[in-house]
Amino acid sequence: MNCLMFPGQPLAFAGKLPQDEDGAAIAEMVAQRVFLDLDTLAWLGEGSTEQVKLQLYGAAMSLYRLRKLRQEAVIVDLVAEHSMGIYPALVASGVLPEGEVLELTFRTGVCLARLGKVKEYALACVVGLSEGVLAPLSATYGVYMANYNTSRHFLLAGERSRIEQLAAAALAGGAFSAQSYPCDAPLHTPLIAEIAGQLRQIVADYSYAAPRVPLINHIDQRPLAAGDIAEFLLRELTLPVYWERTYLALREAGAITFIEAGAGEALKKYNRWIDSEAGR
Amino acid sequence: MTEEMIGKVKQMIIGSLRIEGMTPADIDSDAPLFGAGLGLDSIDALQLVVAMEKEFGVVVPDAATGTTVFQSVRTMAAYIMEQKK
Repeated sequence: MNCLMFPGQPLAFAGKLPQDEDGAAIAEMVAQRVFLDLDTLAWLGEGSTEQVKLQLYGAAMSLYRLRKLRQEAVIVDLVAEHSMGIYPALVASGVLPEGEVLELTFRTGVCLARLGKVKEYALACVVGLSEGVLAPLSATYGVYMANYNTSRHFLLAGERSRIEQLAAAALAGGAFSAQSYPCDAPLHTPLIAEIAGQLRQIVADYSYAAPRVPLINHIDQRPLAAGDIAEFLLRELTLPVYWERTYLALREAGAITFIEAGAGEALKKYNRWIDSEAGR
Repeated sequence: MTEEMIGKVKQMIIGSLRIEGMTPADIDSDAPLFGAGLGLDSIDALQLVVAMEKEFGVVVPDAATGTTVFQSVRTMAAYIMEQKK
């Protein structure tokens, strides 16, 4: 079975959208629907933050890759998603069309960015420590475990000063790497509840079709039904991403080939780590 | 430092990172492993730490040592040989 995986928001821009017909069509759609010039990475109007640009860039790269896979007639048996990868995953499973997904990504990003106008937030990528070490550390510094990617790769989110202290403590505690990045909002934490009402209004504006291909969610690893999707889009922003569990569940479901559709290869690398621990 | 060790390190990188379509001859011994060189990241680096311990019995104890060791294939080979003395 083939599984198409959609990664979350990239942490940096990594190359431009290819300049072919599909790349041009997606760039045009991004410009028309969400007012971002992907070529220059400049807003075409009021716009929003750098983080929202990254979210749209990530979604556009995923949509481009999805088009190519469809042209190659790659059979997709399962669709999986990580964090904001849910948006292009909705296209892959036939739930929403491309244009609406770009708009949903933009509107959600703009809403999240409002949190960043009140307080400074950051993410920390911590590599090398176990959950058993990192979880108590996160509690000590008042930040949250946001992504459980593998047994040794975690993302934490919270107030910027606390995250920076956590990153320093993680390094002092033996982490192989602990880097912090400013962000608009503490994604995948309960702090998002502050704007839950606004987010609920946004996700309620769309009509979600039943997935034509099973769409496995990263919270409890079950396939999403049409009626689950709006609520999931809200919940996923307030709860951690459990990628390792998701990957293991996908394998258990029979997935053998995993194709990453997006900017970079983070999910492929996490899967490699999980496989190597399992002796595969 | 022996060319043999450099060859073993290149093979370890390809094997542990499961890089398809690349041979040891394709890797420049002095090119940066991160960024513009091989384009590795911290996820890859931890995989290499584990592979070095498994294949050579050599430990990279902390992030600061890792920064020094993982500059290039040559620095990795030098570290392994130094630790094995």
